[in-house]
Amino acid sequence: MGAVILARPGRSGVLSSLQKAATASSRTQCRQNHFHPPVQYRKQELPFRAAPTRSCRLYHSQFHPRAPTHEYTNSQTTILSAALEHIPSHGFTLEALTLGARDAGFLDVSVQLLPRGEFDLILFWLASRRGLLRAKVEENQFESLRSVSSVEAKTKLLILERLKMNQDIAHKWQDALALMSLPSNIPLSLSELHALSSDILTLAGDSAVDTAWYTNRLGVAAVYASAELVMTSQKPHADFAAIEAFVQRRFEDRTALAEKITGFKQYLGFVGSTAIGLGRSWGLKI
Amino acid sequence: MASRSMWRSLHYSAKRRVVSPAQYRCFSCSLRAQDQGKTDSEKMTHFGFTNVPESQKESLVGAVFSSVASSYDTMNDLMSLGIHRLWKDHFVRTLNPGSPLARRHNETEGQGWNILDIAGGTGDVAFRMLDHATNVNHDRQTRVTIADINPDMLAEGKKRSIATPYYNTGRLSFMEANAQTMPSIPDNSVDLYTVVFGIRNFTDKQAALNEAFRVLKPGGVFACMEFSKVNNDLFNAVYKRWSFSAIPLIGQVVAGDRDSYQYLVESIEKFPSQEEFRAMIHKAGFMIPGRGYEDLTGGIAAIHKGVKPLA
Ligand SMILES: C[S@@+](CC[C@H](N)C(=O)[O-])C[C@H]1O[C@@H](n2cnc3c(N)ncnc32)[C@H](O)[C@@H]1O
Repeated sequence: MGAVILARPGRSGVLSSLQKAATASSRTQCRQNHFHPPVQYRKQELPFRAAPTRSCRLYHSQFHPRAPTHEYTNSQTTILSAALEHIPSHGFTLEALTLGARDAGFLDVSVQLLPRGEFDLILFWLASRRGLLRAKVEENQFESLRSVSSVEAKTKLLILERLKMNQDIAHKWQDALALMSLPSNIPLSLSELHALSSDILTLAGDSAVDTAWYTNRLGVAAVYASAELVMTSQKPHADFAAIEAFVQRRFEDRTALAEKITGFKQYLGFVGSTAIGLGRSWGLKI
Repeated sequence: MASRSMWRSLHYSAKRRVVSPAQYRCFSCSLRAQDQGKTDSEKMTHFGFTNVPESQKESLVGAVFSSVASSYDTMNDLMSLGIHRLWKDHFVRTLNPGSPLARRHNETEGQGWNILDIAGGTGDVAFRMLDHATNVNHDRQTRVTIADINPDMLAEGKKRSIATPYYNTGRLSFMEANAQTMPSIPDNSVDLYTVVFGIRNFTDKQAALNEAFRVLKPGGVFACMEFSKVNNDLFNAVYKRWSFSAIPLIGQVVAGDRDSYQYLVESIEKFPSQEEFRAMIHKAGFMIPGRGYEDLTGGIAAIHKGVKPLA
């Protein structure tokens, strides 16, 4: 059962960077797989956030301690990585998983390696895209990000970059949302959304503390979630400019919102209502 | 009540540790033949709570299932509080037997799965798997071999198969075999190995797991459903009371055979815990997906899975 996360050496550069990203992200994801409800999870991480002088990178590695409690094994990663290729045509389905298993040299029955089935594919998709985004920034491949300086501008660019990754699968995302809406899947789905917004703000160099820390994350999550939902209703490969405009508008709303929320009490009420609201804006039927 | 008196004579001879093979039917003759020469010092195994020489256990188990073969469903109903059918449905649904997709682009139909249902007895699980493959995955290639050590159970299964669409087709076959050694089944030949409410009766469970590993193809799946350890103390106390006092009594009333039911209850009690059994599966060489097991109805039963790694 040795939890080895490094996938087999990639067959091509693209694949290996994809696997690397998936690997990196499965680490983070796995920590969340430990079923901490999002609030507890944030509480736990707050102390790290409270040290504002750290550089982004240093801070980042502390923020993501490499002590995973659950990881995808080598075989699971191999099947899931191969299955990603089939999402554009087969969606987040058992067929995609089965085809992935076959591509990786396994049998149809081997999808039993993934006890959560299609939901594992969804989580892996989310985590691996998040990993790709992070890899892109950390490996200095995100030129335009360096051309802007404010945290807000960087955040917006990162959100858009992540949204672009959905272009090939947006037409299949509704089915994924339906699966994520099952009561047993909601906690993990929301914590993946939280992890994404957290990563985005971290990568953007956000150093807010206290309540702003939470509201920023909720804000990013809300913008991302609603933009993604808009994407799913677009025609495949529709013009991305419409999404950019949408994100821009949401950013303006968000600034207004953040100014309104001050004080811990208000914050609590905000989180309480928002966890559900957030899920809804993402398209979860909760 | 021929079977009942046979069981009694077995029971007593077990206590005296006198092997008198001529008395009972030979359920796995080749094995028995070598075992009979052994002496008092041979390894003891548990038969319910009565220790018996290992060599006798198989015949004793055989006698139990011969005597309960036809009233078998009643026993399952009692032990599972009436929900074993739901568990079996769930078991089959999560395994999702059959291939909905053609193997390659130029094939119109896939090759189907080669499934081995061990201790398949009455065919209950095998028929469900074939139904699922056919009706859910539209796969008419997937086939099941039902293997059981007990010819009476196999006969019951054959009888019941007449009422199914798989009777006399290439999709269903029967085989008398001891799960611990199945030389007639080649290495790396099986997609899915299932054993439902059977493994607790095996004399050497680890040997059966090793044999499962051998016959499975790389990537193949071992799936087992077995009565297990109830994970809630209060429920456990109530369930134990039910199973230890009520079931043998009901067994006597319904099937006229208290001792066989007593054995069944005790064999369940003696079965390893979920964690122990998972470790045994791992030891046989399997990869364990996720937590490795799923408790059903508070742990009255559990489903364990293992996947054979690619070479
Ligand atoms: C409780 S029944 C299970 C029948 C069926 N799987 C079901 O759940 O309906 C247990 C079966 O295990 C079989 N059995 C016991 N020891 C065995 C062995 N060593 N090898 C193969 N089958 C065995 C018995 O003959 C019996 O049919």
